[in-house]
Amino acid sequence: MAESSAVKGPLPKGEGPRHLRARRGGSSAGNRGAASGRQVSRATGSTQTMMRLYSDDAPGLKVDPVVVLVLSLVFIASVFLLHIYGKLTSTKN
Amino acid sequence: MGFRFLTLIRPFMAVIPEVAAPDRKVAFNQKVLWTVITLLVFLVLSQVPLYGIMSSDSSDPLYWMRVILASNRGTLMEFGITPIITSGMIMQLLAGANFISVDYSLREDRALFSGAQKLFAMLITFGSATVAVMTGQYGDPKSLGAGICLLLIIQLFVAGVIVILLDEMLQKGYGLGSGINLFIATNICEDIVWKSLSPLTVNNGRGPEFEGAIIAFFHLLFVRSNKVYALWEALTRSNLPNLTNLVATVLVFAVVIYLQGFRVEIPIKSARFRGHRAAFPVKLFYTSNMPIMLQSALASNVFMISQLLYRRFPDNLLIKLFGVWEPYQGSSQFFPTSGLAYYMTPPRSFVNTLKDPIHFVLYVAYMLTACAVLSRTWLDVSGSGPRDVARELREQQTVIAGYRDTSMYKELKRIIPTAAVVGGVIIGILSISADLLGAIGSGTGILLAVTIIYNYFETFAKEQAELGGVGVAGM
Repeated sequence: MAESSAVKGPLPKGEGPRHLRARRGGSSAGNRGAASGRQVSRATGSTQTMMRLYSDDAPGLKVDPVVVLVLSLVFIASVFLLHIYGKLTSTKN
Repeated sequence: MGFRFLTLIRPFMAVIPEVAAPDRKVAFNQKVLWTVITLLVFLVLSQVPLYGIMSSDSSDPLYWMRVILASNRGTLMEFGITPIITSGMIMQLLAGANFISVDYSLREDRALFSGAQKLFAMLITFGSATVAVMTGQYGDPKSLGAGICLLLIIQLFVAGVIVILLDEMLQKGYGLGSGINLFIATNICEDIVWKSLSPLTVNNGRGPEFEGAIIAFFHLLFVRSNKVYALWEALTRSNLPNLTNLVATVLVFAVVIYLQGFRVEIPIKSARFRGHRAAFPVKLFYTSNMPIMLQSALASNVFMISQLLYRRFPDNLLIKLFGVWEPYQGSSQFFPTSGLAYYMTPPRSFVNTLKDPIHFVLYVAYMLTACAVLSRTWLDVSGSGPRDVARELREQQTVIAGYRDTSMYKELKRIIPTAAVVGGVIIGILSISADLLGAIGSGTGILLAVTIIYNYFETFAKEQAELGGVGVAGM
């Protein structure tokens, strides 16, 4: 069984990863950046993301995140306007 | 190599909107800010009703999916994250089964693959919007008129595209975690908060009662003269959320979080730097909430098809075997009362299991098998199986301490599938017990919410640790 040999709690993993990370960062910072860019959504192993997106540059319509926000706000506002317009016209009838 | 599906996508790449990746690492505070803003947009989207709806009180064919899809009926979030999930699942299954050949080490292939997923998701949004409007989900299309129909489709489509972009934005590193998870967890938490604190009053002939369990508890204690009876009623009222439900919810939360800590740590050591040791944790919930998510996706599709078939041909014997649907106690929502679909729905309460033990036994058997099998399958589909992990470790030039490079795969193969299957079964058991205890939201919903929130918690901790590490290194 998996549980019988399971080690509970954060105790044993205290030192190891931190060491490794410190060393890796120290040895070659540039290399590390490139690697983390490539791994993107697979890094965590059992990740539960449904859509696997990669952060490489793809030829396509580039949108800034601010534009996405503005777009969604404009959209919500226009639906609101539609509702108000609908209310106004229905009372006239 | 012959014909490749991905080359078909290339002409469309220019029109698929894509969130630009951040050119530098986004600071933790900013990530939190982006996440909160995204969340607000999502919440607003899931409250604003669609413009032009005539009625939406017929039986809801998507009722069983609402939880995992973070969707709200009759609002702009009618489809929630359905398109994303459907397209992601289908494309990954196709790629996993090698129907579509994707070389993940090629940059262009990766770009084309994610482009294809998005294109597909947009097509699904458009298709389902058209179908929903044309089949009269919001009122007869003829009486709505062509203009309103078009407006409805446009609203649904634009809302769908916005959700896709928001999800992509979070995933690309502007925010924390993925949009899908965030939306699901929010939806469920909203439900739980509402059911425990809702200030709405309902009158059932015994004077007004509050809908929210906690508020009702105090209200009943003050109002009723017989305090013991009031306490009893607050704990057990069956038509509205009661305190027992709330306690059950908290209990399930606690158990899941406790179990999250269970893991097998495989000691690994670096082949490059002598003496460097670390641990590769294999969690008991190795596949996290995937088994339950896949199971409910499967079940809700079966329910939807069965319900549609039953409504069209109520007298066909085969379709009756598939599922018989009847409205439940005065509501317009249909529930299965016999047939295959009936045995796939959780028993409605603990008393019902005693009334129909066969249903309960079959349901448990189906649930556990489905969870175990789906959990095991997900390893191969998602690329987190023993072979992939072994390859990843090898790429990082690490080996399991005490094993040769070649026998590493064998050792991982011993541990990882076991963890996946046992984890799947336990998730299944938890979901069943949550349903039996009557926890708020369904058992599936709570499990999803807890695992997602826990993952967020881990991300927070990791980000904080990294922040600390950078600070020290900078000095």
